[in-house]
Amino acid sequence: MVSGRSLEAATALITGAFGAAVIVSSLDNGIGWSAAGVESGTFPLIVGVVILAGSLFNLVQGWLHARAVILGPSELRRLAILFVPAAVFVGVIPLIGMYVAAALYIFGAIAWNKRGSLLLAAAAAIGTALALYLMFEKTFQISLPRGALGTWLGF
Amino acid sequence: MENLEALMHGFGIALSGNHIFLMVIGVLLGILVGVLPGLGAPNGVSLLLPLTFGMQPVSAIILLSSMYWGALFGGSVTSILFNIPGEPSSVATTFDGYPMARDGRPTTALATAFGSAAFGALAGVVLITLAASWVAQVALAFGPPEYFAVYFLAFASFIGMGGSPPIKTLVSLAIGFALAAVGIDTVSGSVRLTMGIDEMVKGVSFVVAVMGLFGIGELMIAVEEEFHVKAISSKVEWREVFRTLVGLPKHGWALLRSAAIGCWMGITPGGPTAASFMSYGIAKRLSPRHANFGKGEPEGIVAPEAADHAAGTSALLPMLSLGIPGSATAAVMMGGLMIWGLNPGPMLFVEQKDFVWGLIASMYLGNVVAVVLVLLTVPIFAALMRVPFFIIAPVIVIICTVGAYSVSNSYLDVMLMMGFGVLGYLFKKLHYPLAPLVLAIVIGDKAEDAFRQSMLMSKGSLGIFFAKPLVTTLILLGAALLLMPTIWRTIGRMMPRSEVKP
Repeated sequence: MVSGRSLEAATALITGAFGAAVIVSSLDNGIGWSAAGVESGTFPLIVGVVILAGSLFNLVQGWLHARAVILGPSELRRLAILFVPAAVFVGVIPLIGMYVAAALYIFGAIAWNKRGSLLLAAAAAIGTALALYLMFEKTFQISLPRGALGTWLGF
Repeated sequence: MENLEALMHGFGIALSGNHIFLMVIGVLLGILVGVLPGLGAPNGVSLLLPLTFGMQPVSAIILLSSMYWGALFGGSVTSILFNIPGEPSSVATTFDGYPMARDGRPTTALATAFGSAAFGALAGVVLITLAASWVAQVALAFGPPEYFAVYFLAFASFIGMGGSPPIKTLVSLAIGFALAAVGIDTVSGSVRLTMGIDEMVKGVSFVVAVMGLFGIGELMIAVEEEFHVKAISSKVEWREVFRTLVGLPKHGWALLRSAAIGCWMGITPGGPTAASFMSYGIAKRLSPRHANFGKGEPEGIVAPEAADHAAGTSALLPMLSLGIPGSATAAVMMGGLMIWGLNPGPMLFVEQKDFVWGLIASMYLGNVVAVVLVLLTVPIFAALMRVPFFIIAPVIVIICTVGAYSVSNSYLDVMLMMGFGVLGYLFKKLHYPLAPLVLAIVIGDKAEDAFRQSMLMSKGSLGIFFAKPLVTTLILLGAALLLMPTIWRTIGRMMPRSEVKP
């Protein structure tokens, strides 16, 4: 179970950390006024300060006014069912390449949800890979990553 | 008159077989992304963008803008038939559209929606036809301080009128600015904000951000609520369509008012979503039958639809004439313009007459094509909603991944896209607006350049923003907009409120 308060806090911390990183990084570029005009770190510095200050405000605001429960167990479960496979899919692309990863992803999704219809799942998986190949490689000449597997196979 | 002549010339360009074909393709793809949850107009346009690089700019913009019209219409279809808004801007359509369809009048609901939408879009295009070149002419005299003031005004109106919590809007906007600054600084040539990752020198593409924020983020929002797709008959009865369309002038006042709200929200970057909600709220407050709202009241469909489309269309006015997009999708299109080598802004009206007027003419035609196609294809796209979500979701994830990768053949972009996805989910869930972030990524560099050039002109004095009447007015107007939320709150506290909750 996730409370609105912790979700607000987590988001404000993420944005705040980004703001802080922007500030630190902008200092390397020089801030203020030089012979060549406004130095290149100035604008990022201002923006970083705005992000950090705004995040602190949202942190306090979120803590004071957030809803009690924002994500129940069933919502979390559904989110996980979507996000975990998606993250795994993206994660394995450098290893097995876009085509194999996409095919396995579709295969897994159908096989998991409609147990028993492995043939349908396999057909959809091959169809997906084929569609990607025809659409991008052939029609638009965009080469999708083949991954370490592709290199090993020489594809 | 000059405008009419130019428009006729534009029709000459838009009315070629090739361009009509692109319109049909664009509208159909648009309806498709509009219907699918998780894919919307900003994603759809971003996905098509890399495929337009080989085209003539005018053909490319006709394809992309037609997709936008299609998506706006497609979003309404699912709102009415399934109570699932395919687009954020069609949420307000569900309030009365779905009840009307559920009570056995789906055709009436759809026809009312499309008719009002077409009227709103027409109002937007007429406004562009009449005003865009005039605005551009005024803007031709703009120097860097004026430009910065206009950008400031645009961003201030997001904060003042976007309807989201102001500080959350500010954070979203500022993050966009920071992301725009990543990479090589166009003024000094130095490398900024790469956080130690060499590949970040190429910057963060708005396409990657859109894929994550709107694609993955929206998918995560969609999956959270379990769909119970209750199919309402999606058969379109043509006689009922005509009867409804003929009866639309009954709501003339509501149509005009909603279109006006939409045009205003489209030009100032409030965007279609805020426009539709605002228009619905006002219609409910003013209507003598406001008790009927939420139960299938026709005006409850007319108001959000007309405003949504008027805003969507008129969002292109500031994009064309000032180089400031009025919505997230317009921002993506403007990014496209820059990639095609065009410089959005007043010079377009001087140097690229064919492009500008071809686009404006195509907006008249594209909306007609969209109304016809959406009516013809409602049953087909409605059937698409019966494809189970567990199949649609991975397909959309794959599309977004490939879309992000194809921007510059980089795996880093794919990782960034997933990061934006999580951020988009958190932002949506907690009512941070996403459009300002995308807008700031696209025009952040231009705003910064305008500021730095102004500073060079004034040798570092902020006084330049108060030196001439026009600049001062714009800056003060922006400051007033920034203070709007505070002013409204104070007024609200002083007066007894009759809160309108849809």
